[in-house]
Amino acid sequence: MKGAAIKNGRMRSLIYNDNTVGHIFALPFIFGFISFSLIPIVFSFYYSFTDYSLGTKTAEWIGFVNFVNIFKDEVFFKSLLKTLQYVVVSVPLKLSFSLMIAFLLTRKSKLVTLYRSLYYIPSLVGGSVAVALVWKQLFARRGLFNTVLDNIGLPTINWFGDQNLAIYPLILLSVWQFGSSMIIFAAGLKEIPTTYYEAAKIDGAKGYQSFFRITLPCLSPIIQYNLVMQTIAAFMSFTQALIITGGGPNNSTMLYGLYVYNQAFKYNNMGYASAMSWIMLIVMSLVTMVIFKSSKLWVFSESGD
Amino acid sequence: MKKQILAFLLAVAMVLSLAACGNNDSSTETTAAADTTTTAADTTTEAESEETTTADEEINLRMAWWGSQTRHDITVEVIEMYEDLNPNVKIEYEFYSFDDYFTKLKTLVASDQVWDIFQLGGNFPMYQDKIFYLNDYIDSGIVDVAGISDSYLKITQDTEGNQLGLSNGLNTYGIAYDPAMFAEAGVAEPTETWTWDDYKNAAMTITEKLDIFGSSSFTTSDFIAGCSTYIGQYGDIGEYSFFNLDHTGMGFDDPAMLTPFIQMRADMINAGAYPDAGASTEITNIENDFLVTGEAAMTWVAANQFPTIYDICLAEDRTLKLAPLPRIKADGPSGAAIQSSQMLCVSQDSQSKEAAAAFISWFQNDPDCNSILQGERGIPVNNTVRDTLSASATPGQQVMYDFVNMVSGFEMPEKINVLSPDGQDLVQDNYLNYIQQVTFGEITAEEAAQKTYDDASSIF
Amino acid sequence: MKNKRFFNKTVYHGFVLLLGFMMIYPVLWMIAGSFKDNGEILRGSLSLIPETFKLENYSTGWSGFGKITFKTFFANSIFITVTATFGTVVSSALVAYSLSRIKFRGSKFWFSCMLATMMLPGQVIMIPQYLIYHKLGLVPGYVPLILPYFCGQAFFIYQMMQFMKGIPRELDEAATIDGCSKYTIFSKIILPLLKSSIVTTVIIQFYWKWDDFLGPLLYLSKPQTYTVSIAIKQFADAASTTDFGAMFAMSTLSLIPVFLIFLFFNRYLVTGIGTSGLKG
Repeated sequence: MKGAAIKNGRMRSLIYNDNTVGHIFALPFIFGFISFSLIPIVFSFYYSFTDYSLGTKTAEWIGFVNFVNIFKDEVFFKSLLKTLQYVVVSVPLKLSFSLMIAFLLTRKSKLVTLYRSLYYIPSLVGGSVAVALVWKQLFARRGLFNTVLDNIGLPTINWFGDQNLAIYPLILLSVWQFGSSMIIFAAGLKEIPTTYYEAAKIDGAKGYQSFFRITLPCLSPIIQYNLVMQTIAAFMSFTQALIITGGGPNNSTMLYGLYVYNQAFKYNNMGYASAMSWIMLIVMSLVTMVIFKSSKLWVFSESGD
Repeated sequence: MKKQILAFLLAVAMVLSLAACGNNDSSTETTAAADTTTTAADTTTEAESEETTTADEEINLRMAWWGSQTRHDITVEVIEMYEDLNPNVKIEYEFYSFDDYFTKLKTLVASDQVWDIFQLGGNFPMYQDKIFYLNDYIDSGIVDVAGISDSYLKITQDTEGNQLGLSNGLNTYGIAYDPAMFAEAGVAEPTETWTWDDYKNAAMTITEKLDIFGSSSFTTSDFIAGCSTYIGQYGDIGEYSFFNLDHTGMGFDDPAMLTPFIQMRADMINAGAYPDAGASTEITNIENDFLVTGEAAMTWVAANQFPTIYDICLAEDRTLKLAPLPRIKADGPSGAAIQSSQMLCVSQDSQSKEAAAAFISWFQNDPDCNSILQGERGIPVNNTVRDTLSASATPGQQVMYDFVNMVSGFEMPEKINVLSPDGQDLVQDNYLNYIQQVTFGEITAEEAAQKTYDDASSIF
Repeated sequence: MKNKRFFNKTVYHGFVLLLGFMMIYPVLWMIAGSFKDNGEILRGSLSLIPETFKLENYSTGWSGFGKITFKTFFANSIFITVTATFGTVVSSALVAYSLSRIKFRGSKFWFSCMLATMMLPGQVIMIPQYLIYHKLGLVPGYVPLILPYFCGQAFFIYQMMQFMKGIPRELDEAATIDGCSKYTIFSKIILPLLKSSIVTTVIIQFYWKWDDFLGPLLYLSKPQTYTVSIAIKQFADAASTTDFGAMFAMSTLSLIPVFLIFLFFNRYLVTGIGTSGLKG
């Protein structure tokens, strides 16, 4: 680098300087962030100290009133707890399930494409109204689940009427749509060099041993990625709850994102919703930070950082 | 490096100035909007001068509504008809489902670009700043109200007499029921003056005898059709209302007045005579209401929904009937009101308000237009149109027309407020939730009544 | 030995197929629903075989609303989705490279910003964002639906960064010694090794964008410009009647493009542990 710089003058050194190159490559993001994200973020921060409403469009400065009210709001605490339950149950389930399927489907077989398609289809139907209706139907009082329970002589369950159970159909729905993490895992598995496995085989390692000694460590950056992303996504999710349960019964499926949405758009308390969002941001930053800090212990990197 | 920093700072400054000017703009616009509402005289002169110059030029109008496929198709058809009749008018239309319509409307309110002609239901106080009152156009004859009786104009006026829009349809709440199921359970059919006790007993007996829900739920409207109507039935006519007429506070002062209604709901749910939260979520649509599926003997309906369910049940050889809402006392006030299902309004943001108003007038009054619309949005307010349509009504529609006529005959308070206050949605959602808490045994009906009252008072 | 292998294979395929059927049942139910009568759907029948095959659901559904057919909606969706997906891949790869491979001032800061954009609920960002596009005169139009995708998508930037971690740094170093610039390293070394990651991005971004509903709702206004995702929702209105059959029919059709993309790109991911040995 040094030699090149002296030879080709300052201009060249500027272009090849790490600082310049970094900024040039990052430019799309920096441009997008500053023009389309930064201002809305700043505004939402400002709104969280106002009584901004989408209807009247006035935004009077009210200081910390929103935050004080939030901490007096029963529904807020309930939705926070329910969201934590949702995240803590659905994310590990979804990740282990998608990793298992991705691993199963790396077997050398002509049917793999078919199988992977089969497993991927549920994720394609994603947020559609149709799938929410189907899901509702499955867990309805006379739905598939209860028909099965009934046939094997067990009592039926009123899924959406029981405040302790109503969250589980939503959790299952989120696990069911594991396609994107499975695809990413599959891509990650593909990147693990075969030579590693061959070497392990020569050393006499059994199947499960090479899974724990090779697959998991090599896949750890991808696992970390899926963990962070699915956690964030789970904290944010709300459309399914909106369509399927509407938050009931007794707010037991009032996911945080749904409550923010209701406050912002249904009750016209954009200021309150903004304040809630910033609390969410803080909670999530903490969670992500914990994941990142702990990842030093378990994430293995080829590129050594 | 320095250059980069400079460039970066410049970019930031640019973006910030953009934000700043955006901010200024919106604030001046809001004040402008405020001005127009306060000095209505100014705006009309402004509007007139604007429009006299453009009389023969091309006028572009934007219009939007919510609904489903049938409504989209017929509305587009009449829009094209209007464009043929008025070649200088072009109407760009947009249509959405109910929830999406309001999401979209909110973004347009935020950016001051509300459609020239837009549809609103009863719950719109937050959009009132965006409505351009039709009074002056009515005076100048651009909006023709000759065929609409005063009492039907009133259902889309605020308490100060401002004409917010013209109603797309008359509406009122009632209880649809299956007489055969009542007979099977040995329960007397509802009368014009039946009471809540009659209602509850009928529901409980039906559940006991037939093992179905006595009544199906009507989740989102339970508050307005049930709880809020209930308060209006206390005392003399017009003595109590849920909110007071000018929406500055409550229209009653004893929370305990709510208790019996909440207790009744909770009792019915616990007895299996009314759907609990789980069963309620299974009703996605009036077409799969439990009355229609045969799992309930009654259901709450808005009158304009009745023909739909009547037709479905008729196909299965069941003939439904429609009864008024129960009362507290048989000789007490009915609490009923003729409401507007929805209305078309002219927006403050419109550049061609006069043309927009003219379209609305045509939409509500023109016989050809309405022969296509077929009262799909509700019972037309124009007398001739209504008579024509009711003459060719299907049996289900006939029941609806008769029912609305009957309710119109009930004694009603002289003054009503057709608006519901901003913040009502939160009160309503919490109210439904408190009922669930009562059924789960977490709180008592008294506490639920108190909480609902506190929530409602806190919006003022 | 051979028997045991056969047995293992059967168990494996049996298990995968059974689980697969359970996974796919709701989707099959939806497809079956697209042939069912409205009444049958509303009664909540669980059967996968319709009582009466009602093909008209497809024709009434396809006819759309007010003379605009689903042909228009599909064309719009395909245009938006393809452009946005292309933008995502290009921009995200560039940004990921800078954040993971180049040490420059502020890289940590931008990385945090990137994560932060994912952590604020979209509901509160939506309106201010809308106002910006409005002030720029871009509403209604396709630009707000596409432009942000050329500015890198956090989800995929981060994903590509993680995949780059798997590419040994020695490769970069060797290339640098050979006199390659960062630009050359990116295009000649990193990009080709990022194939799986890019394929994943294409598959996932395509269906996300295809399903995206809120964006088109806010930024489009004329029905002629609607996407499939918006159009499907126009069938459903809780206060009046809903043609569920037609809605299911169009939902079924709307799966096809996404599925084709998946099938096409999936073959770049199929060669599993068994055969791939290039990356080392």
